[in-house]
Amino acid sequence: MSETQSQLLNQKITRRDFLKYTGISAIGATTMSWLLPGCTSKDIKVFETADGMIIHESARCTGCLVCEATCSVGNDGKASQVTARIKVSQNFAYGPKGVRGDWVNGPGEMGNFTLVADTCRQCEQPACALACPENAIFEHEGTGAREVDPEKCVGCGTCVRACPWGIPTLDPETNVSTKCILCHGYTACVKDCPTGALQYVSWEDAIQKYKEHFQV
Amino acid sequence: MALKGGWAGTILRVDLSTEQITRESTEKYSRYIGGMGIGYKVMWDEVPQGTHPFAEENRIIFGVGPLTGTGAMCSGRTNITSLLPSNPFHGVSDSHMGGHFAVEMKYAGYDAVIIQGKAKRPVWLRIVDQDVTLEDASVFWGDGTFNTIAGITAIMGKSSQVAAIGQAGEHQVNLSVIRTGASHSAGGHGGVMGSKNLKAIGVMGTGSVKIAGDRNAWHKLNKDTFAIVGANNQHVVPSTPQAWAEYHDPSSRWTSQKGLFWGAAPYPIETGEVRPEEVNKIGYRTMKAIKDLGPAGEKYTVRMGGCASCPVRCHSHLHVPELEAYGVSPNVANTCMGFFSPNGVMKGYKVAGKTNDEANVIGRSMGAQIADDYGVWCNYGQLGRDFFWAIDHGYLEKVLPRDEYNSLPLDKIEKGDISFFQDFYRRIAFKEGELATLGEGAWYVAKKWGFGEDYWSYKGNKLWTKLGYPVHHSNESDGVVGGVISSMFNRDAQCHTHQNFLFSGLPTNILKEVAAEHWGAEAIDEVANYTPANQAKAKFTKWSIVRNVLHDSLTLCNWMWPMTVSPLKDRNYRGDTGLEAKFFSMATGFKVSEAELDESAERIFTLHRALTAKQMKSSNLRRDHDQLTGWQFDMDPDKEPFTKGTIKLDRDDYDTALTLFYREMGWDEETGIPTRAQLTRLNLEDVADELERLGLLTA
Ligand code: SF4
Ligand code: SF4
Ligand code: SF4
Repeated sequence: MSETQSQLLNQKITRRDFLKYTGISAIGATTMSWLLPGCTSKDIKVFETADGMIIHESARCTGCLVCEATCSVGNDGKASQVTARIKVSQNFAYGPKGVRGDWVNGPGEMGNFTLVADTCRQCEQPACALACPENAIFEHEGTGAREVDPEKCVGCGTCVRACPWGIPTLDPETNVSTKCILCHGYTACVKDCPTGALQYVSWEDAIQKYKEHFQV
Repeated sequence: MALKGGWAGTILRVDLSTEQITRESTEKYSRYIGGMGIGYKVMWDEVPQGTHPFAEENRIIFGVGPLTGTGAMCSGRTNITSLLPSNPFHGVSDSHMGGHFAVEMKYAGYDAVIIQGKAKRPVWLRIVDQDVTLEDASVFWGDGTFNTIAGITAIMGKSSQVAAIGQAGEHQVNLSVIRTGASHSAGGHGGVMGSKNLKAIGVMGTGSVKIAGDRNAWHKLNKDTFAIVGANNQHVVPSTPQAWAEYHDPSSRWTSQKGLFWGAAPYPIETGEVRPEEVNKIGYRTMKAIKDLGPAGEKYTVRMGGCASCPVRCHSHLHVPELEAYGVSPNVANTCMGFFSPNGVMKGYKVAGKTNDEANVIGRSMGAQIADDYGVWCNYGQLGRDFFWAIDHGYLEKVLPRDEYNSLPLDKIEKGDISFFQDFYRRIAFKEGELATLGEGAWYVAKKWGFGEDYWSYKGNKLWTKLGYPVHHSNESDGVVGGVISSMFNRDAQCHTHQNFLFSGLPTNILKEVAAEHWGAEAIDEVANYTPANQAKAKFTKWSIVRNVLHDSLTLCNWMWPMTVSPLKDRNYRGDTGLEAKFFSMATGFKVSEAELDESAERIFTLHRALTAKQMKSSNLRRDHDQLTGWQFDMDPDKEPFTKGTIKLDRDDYDTALTLFYREMGWDEETGIPTRAQLTRLNLEDVADELERLGLLTA
């Protein structure tokens, strides 16, 4: 664990810190600004906090991709790594950045076996929703999950580019954006993960879990 | 018949000679299900009798099936079909690899990729959905599999999957593999790719596999399957006594227990006790490192890995820092033979400052990593046994030129110096000198080096037939049942249907009850207390093969399927043998029964038999193909067959077993050639006609 990380964990963490912290390895400074309210030229939209989010414990993940298949079949009636809203395969072989010079010791199954999943954080200020020119991303009443309204989505891909973790995906077969909707509270990926590497937790617990998993 | 779900619907054909890339509909092949079935059909239709595996006319078919990529449990496997170089008459054979290549192929939109011809210069095949091109492979030619896969991924993008050959395949070494991912390799057909100047196939797919049935019903079916699966090889009892379990069996791969850890994980992760109902812990049940590598495997285990859609995870992912001193990656992944076959090449390892147990892990992971990178296949462990037969019987010194013999660092074997692997596998992979004969396969080695009858008939050599392949769940698995299964293929039988059921860990009385329900009262015996052949055994034999073929066609992992038994006491330990048909029906939208699906697989295996007769030019496969090497009947001289404590077979009984099995299959009972009546019943009239034209149809 790096210095910065341990310093972070020893502070009182706010939800926004958490977002910054968990996103740090995946995104650069420019995209980070999407997370901050006021950085969008659109009208301010108020999003209630989602009930919780799905977190991924890398050390337990075995890369079976059961989560992706169960997600895409359950939500789309077809199995697809691209539309799966939990994303393990995109970082599977060589990590989030793909093949790098020192891939032997880098992340991924072809490297040191570290598997990094991208999950939807159901952000307090969801960059996807704030960026959508059609206001197609709304908050589900039951779970607070940020959902795409397929009727409103025009397939422009703005949300895809806006999300720091690449969660919204244009289904290449329908040209409609899809993203994690917490299966309206069922969370199929969590239910089916054979190692319990995925958990659906409250915000407070998410922070606590990340502390546990990094403090070793 | 339009395909609604399951199948991608398209087969890709790449002619390397003309550089033409074409597509055809899968519909023509749907009666052959997929994977292996498509492979055999293409071989039958397109490859002339007597073709050499390395000839341009040979095909190599990468096949997946209607369940591949659907998320059905353990449906991530690729079947590869071609003529087998190491087989003396170059019979048709299939090799398999797991990993994520198969599902990527489906998402790119293909049920099979048929490769034919020969490229003028080294190429690799790039498949990105509909965009398919042949690319220059000169920069990868001469490189190992790991670098090749990394290089092609760097070009294609991080979500791609690559299957590649190493230097062994390039040099057309008979015993070579096609490898994908960190630890998955298909043994036997690497040289065929090499002969075609095809270094690798990279694939990336953004599409999907449609499920024709209701998604909620599909989800439930998958969940139900999760609830009855066991550990690897469908072992359904834990290996240690546990409060929840009525039975346990020390040889079970259900190793999860208190105090057993993934010891090299970022923080130690306990496998713990995993009760059957804990579906979110299935992935901890099988900690294969301690099975494959001994107790020290625990502290080197980072995690378990494996194939797409498999909750079971039978591949150990290890961090072995000691390997860096040899210039080898410390991150090693493998399973079973990958870790066992180095043990055949060296008899023990010594690493300074390490215990024997630790040195064992270090040595075997070194061997696995080197063999994987060069792409050398062990022929199910035979490579090492042949090497030692040649050393121990003075052949090596005789057949190797003096200079070559002196250059071989045999003293490293004595010292347990694991750098020996680098030297040994390099010579094999690059066909350096006479030693490289070992890479041609047992039949060729025996012929060239003049091994006598004692080589074939020595039990310790484990050679099942004179076609040069060894045992792979043979007479130790229900006597003649395993015996006949092992005689039916053109390489080691990779059939685990019978093995997994017989060694599930349940007590024999329960297994006997289950067997009686499926195949008749006398189908199975207590281990090593075998009774003579009978009809129930013949039915069990047929079912085992047919299901294996079915799995390699659908494609499902035959190390896990079928789910004949389960860990659940409240199900009376019964599994569900109808699951394959349920998954198939729901995925494809064609409602088929268990029996109908089995019949499709029977068609595929009958076609395999016809292909074997055709390629061998034999009208009597009983005589020419199905004969054993002898030790099976002569072992344990102080024991009689059918007595407790021996797996010895009886010559007449083995003959009877063949006859009963041929009868079940509808083959000529004298010759073992499929009859016209049976070929007609299976809609293979054209096959009957062709066999007749070739003078090979005997009934
Ligand atoms: S199901 Fe679990 S173990 Fe498998 S890839 Fe997804 S998160 Fe990892
Ligand atoms: S999809 Fe939206 S809510 Fe989810 S992580 Fe991305 S920006 Fe946040
Ligand atoms: S049991 Fe092993 S070989 Fe079979 S699908 Fe699972 S990981 Fe792959």
